[in-house]
This record gives sequence, C-alpha cells and structure tokens, in this order.
Amino acid sequence: MKSFTLAVATAAALYAGVNQAHAWSLSEAAAPYKGTSITVVGLDRPSYKIAQKLTPEFEKETGIKVTWNIFPYEDTLKEETLNFISNSQQFDAILSDVVWPVNFADPDWVLPLSHFTGDAKLADPNLDLKDFFPVWLASFTVNNKLYGLPFDSYAGLLYYNKSMLKAAGFDGPPTTWDELAHTYLPKLTDKSKRVYGYALQSARGETQTADAFARFLWPWGGKFIDYSNKTVAVNSPDAVDGITFREGLLKYMPDGIVSDDHSQVVEMFAQKQVAMITEWSAFYPTLSSSNLGSDLGIAPEPKGPKGAYSAFGGFAYMVSSQVNKKHQNAAYLFIQWLTSREMAKPLIEGGAVVARQSADEDPSVQAKFPNLAPMVKTWETSTVPDWRPQLECYPRFSDIVSDWGSRIELGQVGVKPGLDSMEKDLTAYMKSSNCWGKINNPEAAMLLYK
Amino acid sequence: MTDTAQDRAPPMAAAPPSWKEKLEPWFFILPSVVLLLAIGLYPVIYTFIASLQAWVMGMGPPSFSGLDNYIHAFGSSDFGHSVGRTLILILVTLPIELILGMMIALALDSTNFAILRRLLQICLVIPIAITPSVVGLLTQLMFNEQLGIINQLLHLVGIPAIDWLGRPTAAFITVMIVQIWEWTPFVALVLSAALSTVPKDIDEAAMLETERWWPRFRDVQLPFMWPGITAALVFQTAFTIKEFDMIYSIEKGGPGTSTETSVMQIERMAFRGFDVGLASAESILMLVLSIVLARIYIRVFYREMD
Amino acid sequence: MADFRATLLRALQGIALVVVLVVILFPLYWMVAGSLKTEPDLFAIPPKWFFTPTIAAYVDAIENTDVLTNLLNSVIVTGSAVALGLIVGAPAAYGIARYRFRGRRDVWFWYVTNWMLVPVVVLIPFYLTASKLGLINNPIVLILVYQVFIVPLVVWLLVDQFSSVPVALEEAAQLDGLSRIQIFLRIALPLVKPGIAVSAILSGIFAWNDMLYAFILTPSPEARTAPTIVLSYLGGYVIPWPQVMAASTLVCAPVIIGGIIVHKYIARGLTMGAVK
Repeated sequence: MKSFTLAVATAAALYAGVNQAHAWSLSEAAAPYKGTSITVVGLDRPSYKIAQKLTPEFEKETGIKVTWNIFPYEDTLKEETLNFISNSQQFDAILSDVVWPVNFADPDWVLPLSHFTGDAKLADPNLDLKDFFPVWLASFTVNNKLYGLPFDSYAGLLYYNKSMLKAAGFDGPPTTWDELAHTYLPKLTDKSKRVYGYALQSARGETQTADAFARFLWPWGGKFIDYSNKTVAVNSPDAVDGITFREGLLKYMPDGIVSDDHSQVVEMFAQKQVAMITEWSAFYPTLSSSNLGSDLGIAPEPKGPKGAYSAFGGFAYMVSSQVNKKHQNAAYLFIQWLTSREMAKPLIEGGAVVARQSADEDPSVQAKFPNLAPMVKTWETSTVPDWRPQLECYPRFSDIVSDWGSRIELGQVGVKPGLDSMEKDLTAYMKSSNCWGKINNPEAAMLLYK
Repeated sequence: MTDTAQDRAPPMAAAPPSWKEKLEPWFFILPSVVLLLAIGLYPVIYTFIASLQAWVMGMGPPSFSGLDNYIHAFGSSDFGHSVGRTLILILVTLPIELILGMMIALALDSTNFAILRRLLQICLVIPIAITPSVVGLLTQLMFNEQLGIINQLLHLVGIPAIDWLGRPTAAFITVMIVQIWEWTPFVALVLSAALSTVPKDIDEAAMLETERWWPRFRDVQLPFMWPGITAALVFQTAFTIKEFDMIYSIEKGGPGTSTETSVMQIERMAFRGFDVGLASAESILMLVLSIVLARIYIRVFYREMD
Repeated sequence: MADFRATLLRALQGIALVVVLVVILFPLYWMVAGSLKTEPDLFAIPPKWFFTPTIAAYVDAIENTDVLTNLLNSVIVTGSAVALGLIVGAPAAYGIARYRFRGRRDVWFWYVTNWMLVPVVVLIPFYLTASKLGLINNPIVLILVYQVFIVPLVVWLLVDQFSSVPVALEEAAQLDGLSRIQIFLRIALPLVKPGIAVSAILSGIFAWNDMLYAFILTPSPEARTAPTIVLSYLGGYVIPWPQVMAASTLVCAPVIIGGIIVHKYIARGLTMGAVK
C-alpha cells in the first residue's frame, strides 16, 4: 500500500513536473527579488555546514544574496525572540526547533506557509509536501496551519562499538533497555581500566531535558503532560520507574557524566572509552570520520517496557512576518529550495539529515549512510511528535525539568521526591504563566498528514 | 594618600569661591556624567519599571503586577542560593588571593634572581588578559575527568582521578581554583607595584634595626601595600559579582545549579526562560546588594573622600 | 650556618617563584600547544609532550569563520571605546582630584557604582533601545555601552594619580599665567602617563574580552567581535578542540601582547595612591 501511494505520488509529481516545466522555474520565480539580500539563522552542526556550502548554487540561480547567521544552539531562541520583540528585522528565514513553533506562531511572528504555497508564482509545483515524513509536518503545525519546512531532522539512535561488544561476547547490539542494563553493561564496564559500557549526555539545559530525561520517560509509559486532564504527569508511577532505571545506569557510566554534553560523550565514544551511546542521527558523519572506522555500529534506540519511543528532535525553517514582502518571498524561495526533493540527496551526501522520504528511503543512499534506515524506522513507528511538549512557556518549563532532572541524577534528591518537586514547580509555573491555554498538540495534527 | 587631602589645599580653594570657580570642576566632570547618565541610568530605570510588571517575552504584553516579582524572587530558593554562592565565592577566594598575592609580591621584592623577577613581572598580567570564556573552555578541557590533563598529571604522581566537574562541591571548588588562578597574579602585580614605592632609605633603616621580617613587614611594607589591598578588594569584588563568561563556559552553572552565580541565574531567567519581569526584579536586588557592598568598602577604606 | 640558611631560603624562594611562573603559564602553554596538535594528539593518554605541530587548526579557523574580520572589529571597538573613555574620564578624574566641591564624594561614589553595575541588568533595555535607534550590529553601540565600565575604571585609577602630582608644580604654572585647562593638558596629564597606560590596558582588556554585550548587540557574522567566535564553536555538536584553541590563541594574543608591552608602566600606574 505504502509503496503504491509513493509510486502514485512520484508519478503525480513527475507529471506535474513535466506539465508545468515551462510554467515554473526557480530563476523565473526569483526574478523580482534579484539583488535582495536575506539573512538565514543556522547552527554549527553538519546539516548547516553543507547547506552553507551549497548556498552559492541558489545565489547563482536566483541573484538573491544569502547571509548565514550561525548561533550556538543555546543562544538561538534568545536571539530570535529578541529580534521579534524589538522588531529589529535582522532575520528573514527563522530556524525553529521542534519545541518552538507555538512560540513563534502564536504571536504571529512567522507566517503560515499557505501564504506562499497558495501563490502560483512562488510555489514550486514539485514541492511535494507529502514526501516529508508526517511526524515532521505535524510537528510544525499549529492550529492546523503548517508553519515550517523541516530541515536538519533527527532521531535518537544507539551507536555502539562493534569490537568492544564482540570482545565482551555480544554479536549484536541490545534491543531493549533491560537487556542493555542487565546483560551488556556489567560485561562492558571495567572502571579500573576506565572503560565504560554506556554514557548518557546529561549536561544542564536542553540536553538534560531531552537526552537524559525524556529518553527515560516515554519508553516506561511516562509523559510530560496529560492533555485531557490538564495536569503535569512527570511524577506518575511510570515516570518514577523510568527515572529509577536511569539512576541504575549511573554505576556503569564515567563519573563526570552529569556535567557532560554531547561533545564529551561523543569524544569518549570515539576514544573507545565508552562502548555505547544514544545520540542523534545527525552525529553519523562525525563518528564515521573518527578513528572508530569499521567498529562503528548503528541500531535503533532500545525499547522500554512500554514500547519503543526514541528521542525525537530537529528543526524547520519559517518565514518572518516582520520583514517586508520582498524579503519574505525571497526567504520562502530559499527555504523551499533548501528543503526540496532535489536538494535532499546532495545534502545527505554532504553530511546533513533531512526528513524527505524519497531520499531517506532510497536504497542506494541508505547503503552509504547506515544511520538512515534506523532513523526512518523511528520516525515511522517508534516516536511521538510531542516527545517534548510544545508549550509557549516551554523554555522555562524545560529549565525546571532540567533543574530537577540534574538534581536527581546527582543524587541530591531521591527519584520520587525529586519528580514530585518537579511536578509541583511545573504545575505552579503552568498556572502562573497561563500556559495551559497556549499548548500545541502536534499528535492531533498527525491526522492531517497520514 | 589618606591624609593628603587635608594637607594639600587645592589651589583654587584659598579665596571664597565665585560662581565661576564653583562651576569649574563641573567643566571637567560634566562630559563623563552626561555620558554615563545617558548610557547607564536609563536602562536601570527601565529595569526597575519592568520589575513591577508581569512580563514573559513572547507571551503577551507586560502588565502591572506590583511587587509580585520581588516576592517571587525572595521566595525562590534558586535565586537565594545563587546569591549565597556569589558571596561565598567572594569570601573564600578573596582572602586566599590576597595572601598568595602578597607572598608572591614579597618574594618578588626580595629575590636576587633578576631574570626570574623580570619574567614574572611580565607574566603576572597574563591570566586576566586571557578572555574569561577561553579560561572557562580551558578549564573544561583540562579538568575533564576522563580526558583532562590535570587528572593525567595527578595520575603520574599516584593521585587517583578526581571528578572535578561532575560533582557539585568539586565543581564549585574547581571554579574557585580557576578564579584564584585568574586573579592572584593581578593582586601580586598591584601589591608589587605598591612595594616598589617603599623608599630605599626607610627600608634599609628598618633592616639595620632588626633582622626579623615581621616588624619590617608590619611597619614598612604593609602600610605601603594598604592602598593596593583596598584596590584589589574593590576590583575583585566587583568582578566576581559580574562574573559570567568564565563560569558559564565551564559547564553553564552545572552540574545542576551548583556553580550558578546570581548573574547567571538572572541571565537564565531572562534569556532562557524569558521571564523579564522576574529577572528585572532580581537584577534590582543585585544592584542594591552591590551598592551596599560598595558603600561598605568605601566607608572602611576610602575615608579621605569626605 | 646563618649564611647557609639564608642561601637555602633564597633558593627555596626562587623555586617557589618558578612554580608560580609554571602555574601561570601552563594553561597558556596548553592552549597554544593544543592549537598546534591534532585532535587525537590533544586527547592522547598519556599526554603527548612531543608532537609534530600543525597549523591546520589555524587554517581551518581562518577559512571557516570570520575570525580576521572579527579581530579587526575588536580592534576598532576596543580602541575607540578606550579612547572615548580616556577623553571623558581623565578630565573627570582631574576635576575630582583637584577640586573640593559639594557632591564630590557622591559623584565619585556614583562612578564606582557604575563599575559594579551587573551587565545582565541592563542588557534588555540596551537591546531594545539600540534596536529602536537602528544600532544593532553597529560597533558604535558597543563603544558606547562599554563606557559603563571604562569611565569608572579610568576615573578610579586616575584620581589617585592626579592626587599624587605635586600641587606646587601646578601653582607655579598658574603664576606663569596658564589657565586650568592648560595646566591640566600640559602639566598634569604628562605626569600621569603611567596611570593612563594602565587604565587603557585594563579597560582595553575588559572591553576586548566582553562577550555578554557583544553577543546580544552585534549578532551578525560581520559585526561580531573576536571572543564570540570562541563561543560560537561551543554551539556545535562536537567541539573541535584544536580549532577552538587556535581561535582562542588568536583572540587572546593581542591583549596578552598589549599587556606585556605596557607592563613597565604598571608598577607606576597601579600604585593606587601609595605614592606620596
């Protein structure tokens, strides 16, 4: 059924392409904006590196000048929010993390994409929205309106060191967290040699909230928010189980783990001090070029007792509503080009991760990039779009989660009392900031795209 | 210079001052006052107004909320702890820096290795010249439990690896160590500058009188170092209160909030949580605290300003 | 015996000073060495003291970031900010040192308070105002903002220096018919040169190293100052340590060199009123 739909879609796209080949071309669409200079927000991550490298192609074809403004992830929301609050019109193409759409869409800082897709002069008939994974479109849909085109899209994966596993007597990676903790880790960890079975990036901030907390919430049946009852659910018995399990992993991990971020964990894995890490799919190019060589193994994240809910994260590009029409249209053309079907493969070849089914599921591409198959599988079957909730008050919400999450991991407070305090602080904050009225539930939007 | 202000009657003060003479000092002072008022005062007023508003950036316009933010700030253990940490940082590192700095200055003053003295005098300025965020990054690199050079050097002398950054107390001590590394040489520099002003004849007379170092230190060297000590105190207190880049780039105030100073806490509220109202109230409280501290210092050390 | 003890003491003192020197310089060495290593060499266990230096990290930093433009921005911003601070600060210090007038103490105290002003406090209003004036990404905004700490620093250091200029010198000049401004410019100012050098280098260090203001007020790649380059590396998923160390070395070098050049003035400029 699936492949049939795909075939029809492809055929339709081809047909449309043939039929309108003369009606729409990027250079024609961009003609009115020749000489316009737009600013695009980006991060210092592989996807943006290759995007920057390919940008001159767009500039050449359109005459639109593109300036990339690269920020550290931790500063991006701050810079963009200040830009909007002060109406300083610095940025045209806005980068939105999967947890920010409601922050940008609710105050109308960004435009719904229908604004552009309805304009035959701008909209590429080959845009083919259906080619994006539904979970990604749902994630950037607020009030049934799509605001962003996905770019730099991740799933959590299990990276493992094949020869370390083999030396400990394992032919393949663990498939459940239970197996990982009880069968694998005791054999893989030798603290006297400073070799560890697993390392979990747990640094304060979004890393703690997403990588170290949410990862152990969902697979045990926990969740952040109970939408129907309008309650915070982080201290449910399921959540307590998950976080208690996380505490059990600590004895197999390096000592300083609570302060380690992605870079340290990846570095330890690359230095063969750690046998397994759970990290974003975007890390593949980095790890494959490290000195691990053929020892690098990739699998989906392990399942929990209540099923597989792998880490879900990534970004999309949106168009600022504050800049003038010329800039808006030019920015849209750029975003449309960057996230197009045609660009997907060159981007992947250059180390990016994108959410285009046609490219991610292409066997010839998958053969070269072993991170794609488990990533696709995760997006299709084993994650949820509200893996982290989409709240307008999310920044502070996440900060509270990260605060108590780190305290629990440090052993400053027990699991149950810590989660109770987290729930209490979150509930109080949700109320004081009137956040319950400003929730987006992307899960509901899944119906639009399935 | 404590007693100089009275001794030295300013040249213009002899005759009863005319209005022109009264205005004369302002001719010199006014440009800087205007500049500072324009740049420094307006934002403080703005922050004060914001502190009386319920205002989360991006969640609707600000609305008046009275003292809610202040009540919240006082009730928040986060803010209280961060202020406490800032004060502990000052109270612990400052005396250590003063003592170490003084020892270095005294040793520099008396050593007969001229090359060593010259080399050190040049190098003492280096730690504060290194960009604080780079200092933080170097800390992250060098104190890393698994990969850092510090633990590897300790390993060479048989000391087991210390988890410098992963545990709350250890991480706070690491921050203190780095801060002491950063500022002790500066204190030594200031004090050694002060020591160089001790007139040779006084010093030699003292040395003829007694061989013991203590009387010489107490009666000759210390009085000359006193203004330098004051300066170092004021300088460093202000700097620790404002410290952000260095600690932030080590591990963003972590693990948990164990190395988070009050400025970092305010920054987190303002730019991570976007709660501008609360952050403003905390800012105003910090401002009051630093004015009180400045007042205390000046009352104690700068009496001649009366 | 006494001689022996004295010699031993001197030797121990010398050793202690060498230790101090090593402790001060080791992180600097580690930074520069790190910038010349490859990543595996940098993290090698046991540490590699001998390695084949490579400038790849510098090439990479220069090619992939605007570090050279940013260094130039930093030079412009720091130079102008220090110059402006001295132009308005030195006369103010002279005014406070040489006149007794009502409010003198309050004015002086107010300067010191500004020096204690916590940057985060004023960041949001600064940003909103700068944005209204269209000054975001304009170096002028940093040059002005830095006066918040430069002017107090200059005033603080120079009040002491001007106070230690003998009054007799100025009185003699006055008898020769020089005006107060002439006295300030021709007599007092040349005498406090060390103080000016020290306040310039110290305020220069703080202005150069500022990141909090710079990151918010000049976010665009061409407008950024040098230290923000270092921070921008941290946002990546993987920290390319050799490149970070290379960028750090480039960013720190100008201030360190500046500090070393003026170090001979420091002894005379940092006396904090000790000279009578």
